[in-house]
Amino acid sequence: MFDRLRRNRAFRNLAPAATVVLALLAGLAVDGYGQFVLSLTVSAIVIGAALTMLVGYARCITLATGAMMALGAYGSTLLVIKLGVPYLLAVLCAGIIGGIGGFLLAVPGVRFRGHNLAMVTLVFQAVVVILLREWRDVTGGAEGLNVPPPTAFGMTLTDDYAVLVLNVVVCALVLISLAVLVNGAFGKNLRAVTGNEVGARAFGINVERHLIAAFVASSAIIAVAAALNAPRYRIIDPDSYGVIVSIFTLSYPIVGGMQSIWGGVLGGGILRILPELLRPVADFIELFFCILVIATIMFFPGGIVELLSRALRLNREGAAAAAGPEETRLAGPAETVSPSPAASSGSTVAPGGASAPAALITQRVRKRYGALQAVDDVSIEVAAGSLHGLMGPNGAGKTTLFNAISGFTPADSGRIECFGEDITAAPVEARIAIGVTRSFQHVAVFPKLTCLDNVIIGLGANGIWDTFARSFDESVNGRRSAKEREAARWALAAIGIDGKAEAPAGTLSLGDQRRLEMARAIVSRPRLIFLDEPVSGVGHQEAELLKELLQRINTDLGVTMLIVEHNIKFLVDVCDTLSVMSSGRIVAEGKPGDVIARPEVREVYFGEKKAAP
Amino acid sequence: MAEFLMVIIGGLKIGAIYALAAIGLIVIHKATKTVNFAHGGLVMLGAFAAYLIVVELNWPYWLAYVLIPILIGIVATLLEITILRPLRRADLFIVIVATIFLGIALSETFRLAQNTEMLAVPAAIKGPPMMLELGEDLIIITREQIWVCLGALTVGVIGLLIFRYAPAGRSMRAMAANVRGAQLCGYSVNRVYAIAWFVGGALAGLAGVFAAPSHGVSPELAISVITAAFVAAVIGGFDSLLGAIIGGLLLGLAETLSAAYVSSAMKSAVSFLLLFVVLLWRPEGLFPEAKGRDV
Amino acid sequence: MQAFWKAIARAATGLAVAAVLAVSAGPAAQASSQGVTDTEITIGALGALTGATAFIGGPGRDGIQLAVDKINEAGGINGRKLKLIFEHAFTPAESVAAAKKLVESDKVFVLILASGSTGAAAAANYVRETGVATYNIYGATPIIRKPFAKNVFHSAIPGAEVSSQAMIDRAFEARPKAKKIGVLAGTYAFPQANKKATIPLLKKKGVEFVVEEFDQGSRDFTSQLLSFARARVEAVLIFGSFSEAGFAIKQGPEKGLTGVTWVVDGSAVNDAIVPILGAENTKNVWGYYNAPYFPGQSDAPITAYKKMWTAKYGKAPQGRPNLYDLVGYGSTYVLAEAMKNAGKNLNWDSLIAAWSSLKNSKPSNLGGVEITFPQSFSKTNHQGSTELGKAAIKGGIWQVVPK
Repeated sequence: MFDRLRRNRAFRNLAPAATVVLALLAGLAVDGYGQFVLSLTVSAIVIGAALTMLVGYARCITLATGAMMALGAYGSTLLVIKLGVPYLLAVLCAGIIGGIGGFLLAVPGVRFRGHNLAMVTLVFQAVVVILLREWRDVTGGAEGLNVPPPTAFGMTLTDDYAVLVLNVVVCALVLISLAVLVNGAFGKNLRAVTGNEVGARAFGINVERHLIAAFVASSAIIAVAAALNAPRYRIIDPDSYGVIVSIFTLSYPIVGGMQSIWGGVLGGGILRILPELLRPVADFIELFFCILVIATIMFFPGGIVELLSRALRLNREGAAAAAGPEETRLAGPAETVSPSPAASSGSTVAPGGASAPAALITQRVRKRYGALQAVDDVSIEVAAGSLHGLMGPNGAGKTTLFNAISGFTPADSGRIECFGEDITAAPVEARIAIGVTRSFQHVAVFPKLTCLDNVIIGLGANGIWDTFARSFDESVNGRRSAKEREAARWALAAIGIDGKAEAPAGTLSLGDQRRLEMARAIVSRPRLIFLDEPVSGVGHQEAELLKELLQRINTDLGVTMLIVEHNIKFLVDVCDTLSVMSSGRIVAEGKPGDVIARPEVREVYFGEKKAAP
Repeated sequence: MAEFLMVIIGGLKIGAIYALAAIGLIVIHKATKTVNFAHGGLVMLGAFAAYLIVVELNWPYWLAYVLIPILIGIVATLLEITILRPLRRADLFIVIVATIFLGIALSETFRLAQNTEMLAVPAAIKGPPMMLELGEDLIIITREQIWVCLGALTVGVIGLLIFRYAPAGRSMRAMAANVRGAQLCGYSVNRVYAIAWFVGGALAGLAGVFAAPSHGVSPELAISVITAAFVAAVIGGFDSLLGAIIGGLLLGLAETLSAAYVSSAMKSAVSFLLLFVVLLWRPEGLFPEAKGRDV
Repeated sequence: MQAFWKAIARAATGLAVAAVLAVSAGPAAQASSQGVTDTEITIGALGALTGATAFIGGPGRDGIQLAVDKINEAGGINGRKLKLIFEHAFTPAESVAAAKKLVESDKVFVLILASGSTGAAAAANYVRETGVATYNIYGATPIIRKPFAKNVFHSAIPGAEVSSQAMIDRAFEARPKAKKIGVLAGTYAFPQANKKATIPLLKKKGVEFVVEEFDQGSRDFTSQLLSFARARVEAVLIFGSFSEAGFAIKQGPEKGLTGVTWVVDGSAVNDAIVPILGAENTKNVWGYYNAPYFPGQSDAPITAYKKMWTAKYGKAPQGRPNLYDLVGYGSTYVLAEAMKNAGKNLNWDSLIAAWSSLKNSKPSNLGGVEITFPQSFSKTNHQGSTELGKAAIKGGIWQVVPK
C-alpha cells in the first residue's frame, strides 16, 4: 500500500507541499508567536528542499545560501518601497533576481567541485554582503532596511495567521514545482551526472548546464522563501544573511537526508523549530548544530529520512511477507528481439546493403600526446550491419582511437564519418540523433537510478530545456513520458532484464550492469554502437551470454557494432571483421580467422606475449 | 615613498601570518587529499594556548613556541583519528562539510568556555620601534613585524625541508603521489595520515602563537584565518609549500595596498577578487608544483 | 488527473477564505495587566548571547538578573516578586521572534530590550503596535526613539547624537585648536549609526575631517592610519569595539601618528583595551562613559557591586563586568521603582503613568548600589539619562575623571 503510494507520481509531487499545509492546522493551535515561528519554518522547509536538490542531487557544496536569501529579501523589499511594486509580484520578481544571482554564481562556479566550489560560493556570499553594506543609498548599509508589512489583493496583512496562510500558499506552490523537477527527469539527470559523469555525458547530458540549472532553480526558490520572510524580520540587514546563515542552512539537507526532497523538508522544518524549543539553552545551540551535523555524517549518513524510512520498513516487512512477491519473473534470455512498437527513429536499416554507405569510415585520424603519437594515420571502414572488432596489445592506441571516434577526445586531424555524415566534431546529442551510441569499459550505469530510468536517459533527450519539459510531462503522466517508459521496457525486455526494471542499477550484478548498459545503448534504436571492452571483468559463462546477446542485437535489430576488446577469443568468435592495431597504426585487417593467422599479427601479439590464449 | 614602504612592510607582516596558516593547510591536503576547513579553528586554539601560557600562567614566552605546536598537533591528530578516519571511505564532499562544521564547533567551544569578546596577548619581542631615515621621511619598523616575518619564513623553510628530506615527509610525499603505491611500499595509511595531521596541526598552532599578539584571541579568528589561508593556498597552487608562502605574502600585500590606495572598505573584497581571478584564470595556482608522471 | 487539479483548486479556495477571515479578525486585544499575579511580576528581556554583540546581551542578562535577585531578597515590589525570562536574539529576525514569544506566549508584563541597536530597531514597530511597556536599555538607534511612543522608555544609553557630541567635545577639550580630525568607523551597524550622527556635528563645528573605515574584527589598520598621518590629523574619533580601537591606537605610533588624541566610543571604553594598547599607549586616549564609575575603579559603590557580582557569578573573566552589566543592573532598579510607584493595581496604563513621572530614580531608592546615573522621565521625554562621564585610562584602568 505504502509502496504503491510512493510510486504514485501525483502523491510524490504533492506530499512535500502537503506538509507545509499542515502548518496551517498547527497554526490554529498556537499563539501569535507560534504562528510567527511557523511562517519562518515553512520558508525553511522550502530552503531545505531547494538545497537538497543542489547539495544532495547535484552534489554541489554551496556557502552562498545567505547571499541568495539576501538577494530575495532585499530585491523584493526594494521593489516594494522604491518602485511601489505589489508585494506578491515583488516576491515573484525576487525569484527572478535570485535565479539571476544563481546563474552569475554558477557559470564560473560549476567548473569546480569540492573545496574550490565551496570557496567560489563563499566569494559570492562575501561579495553580496559587501555590496549590501557599501551601497548605502539603496540598501541602507549596515544599519539595515525597514520592511513594510506584506500586502495581498489590496489588503495589508498584519495578523500572524493571515501571513502564515499567505506564506503557506506560496511555499506549497514552490514546493510542488520543485518536486516536479526533482522527482522528474531533471532530478534523475542530476543523479546520473553525480553517479557517473562520463556515462552522463555520453548520453547527451550537458553536465555544466544541468549544474547551472540546479543552481539557478535552487537560488530562485531560496530567494522567494527569503522574500516571504523579509516582512517578518521587520528590518533586514547584511548580518542576517551572512556566511553563518549559509553554513547553518547547509545543515538542513545534511541532517535531513540527501536522498530525496523529504530530507530538506524534514531537515529545514526540524532545524528551524529546534532553536525555538531549545531557547533555555540558546548559548549552546550553534555548538549543538555542529555536533548534530558531524554525528549525522558519521553515524547515519542518510539523515532523518533514512532513520524514519528504516523504521517504517521494519513495520512493513511483516505485511509484505504475507502479500507474497509481486514480480517473480526471472530474467532469462529473451527468445527474439522484436522491433519496438514505440520505435521513434524512423529510418530502418538495410543490413549489409551494398548501396548503403559504410557505418563508419575514418580517414587518416591522428592523435598525439606529447612525444607519443598515439594514433598515427588510421583509416578504417566498418560495413553497415557488420560486427567489427578492434584489437591490439596494450598501448597500441585502441582506446585513443575509440575515444576519437566516439567524440570523447577529439582527434588532432583526420575525418570521421558515420553513415555518410561527417561527425568529426559533432557533439554527443548529434551523434545520438544520427544513431550512434556507446558502452564503457568500466561499467558506467547510474547506480542510484532504477534500471528503467537508466535506460530512459539512453533515449538522449537530455538537453536542459528538453529535460525540464520531460519533468513536467512526467508529473502530469503525459504521453511523452509514457512513450519513454514503453521504449525503455522494450529495451530491457530485449536484453532480458525487464524483471529488474524498478531495481536501482547499483544493486545489480556486474553482468546485469553490462546488460543494462546494452539496453541503454539500444533504446534509442541506434544504427551503430561502439563497445569498449564489453567482457572485461566478467566471467567465462557471462562472456558467452553476452556474446549471444551482441549477435542477437546485430542480427535482429540490424545494428552495426565496433568492439574494442582484449579478449581475442571473444573477438574472433563474435566478429565478422577484425582490425589489429600496433604502435598507433593498423597492421592487419580482414576476416578474424585470416587476420590472426597472419605473421605480422602473430609477431605483434604472440611474439611478445609468450602465452597465447 | 616612506609611506609606501611602510604599507609594504605592514602587508608583509599580515601576509606572513597568512602564509603560516596556509602551510599547515597544504601539508594536510598534500598527504591526505582533505581540505581542512577546521584549520582556522586549530590556529585559534593555538592563539588561545598562547594566551594561557603567556598571560594566565605567566610562563616564559619561548615555552609557547615549543609546547603549543606539540599540543595542537596532538589535538589535530585526535580529530583525524576520531572523526576523519571513520569518514575515509565517504565522499570527499562529505568530508569537506564535516570539517566546515568541525571548525565552527571549535570556535563555539572556545566562545562558550571563555565568555569574552577578545583576549589580548602581549608581543613576543618588546622594545621601541626602529626608525630608518629616508630623506626627510621616517620609516618605522616594529620589532614584532620583523619577528613575525622572519619566524614565518623560518617555519616555512623548515616545513619545506621536513617534507622533502625527513622520513615522515617522504612517507607523506609517497602518499600524496599514489596511495596504493605507497601502501605497497609498506607505508601505513593510518600512520601517514596521523603524521600529516600532526604536522599540519603543529603548524597551525605555531601560526596561532605568531598571530596572537597582532590579532588577539577571539572566536572570529577561526573564520578570518581559514579564509585568508585558503586564498593564499589557492594562489600558491594548493600543493606547493613555497607557493603558499608566496601566496600568503602576496595576499597580505594586495590587501594592505588596496586598502591604502583604493579604499579601506575594499580590503576584504580584494582577497576574494584575487581568489576568484586565480581560480578562473589559473586554477592550478600561480606556482603549481610540478605534477608527477603518475598516469 | 482532472480530479487532482480540482482538489487543488478546492484547497486553494479554502485557503483564500481562511486568509480573508484571518485578516478581518485582526489582532486580538491584549490584557494590559498580563504577567502580573498577586505574588509575581514577570518581566521579559532579549539580547544576544552569541554572535558579535554577545558582549552586550550576556552582561545584560547577568546585570538584570542580579538586580532582580536583590530586589526579591529585599521583599519584592508591593508584595510581588520579580521573575525574569531572558531570550537570546542576535539578528533582527531573532529579535522579533523573541519579542513575540515573550509578549504573546510568556505574557510578560514589561519587555526589556537588552540588545544592541539592530535588535532594538527590529523590535521597535512591534512594541509600538502591541503597546507593551518597553524599556530600551542599550539601543542608541533613532528607529526606536522616533516617532515617540508612550510605552517605550530609554535608559542610560542616549541617542547617537548625544554620544557623538560628547566625543567631539572630548577631542576639543584635549586639543582646543585642532584643525583636522580623523574619523575611523567600522562598516557594521553600530559604528555606522554613530558615524552618521557625527559627520553633521563636525560639519557644524566647521572643522576639516578625514573618514576611514574598517571591517568588523579588523586587526590591521596600516592603510587607515597612514591616511591619517598623510592628512596630519590631530585627533581621531574611533567608532568600533574595544578590540578594534585597541589595535588601531596601538599601531598609531608605528605608522607615524605620534602625539595624536584618540577618542573612543562607549563600546571601546572597556578595561580589556588596556592589555591591547600596552601601558605606553594609554596617555592620549579619551572616551565617555554612561555610568559614574568604571568596574575597575575602587570607589565604594562599585566595589560593593563587584562583590555582589562575584558572589553570584564567580570569578569574572577579562572584561567583565562591563558597562552593560552596570546599566542592566541600574535600569532594573529604575523599572522596579516605576512599578512600585504604580501601586498595587499594576497594569500597563498605571505603570506608564508612574514611569513618565519618575524623577531622579536610582538603585539606592530601593536599596541597591549607586553605580549608574540617576534617571528622570516626563510625559514627552522618555530618555532616562543623557549624562556621560569623561573617561580616561589612569593607572592601567579606565576611570571616570572630573570634567
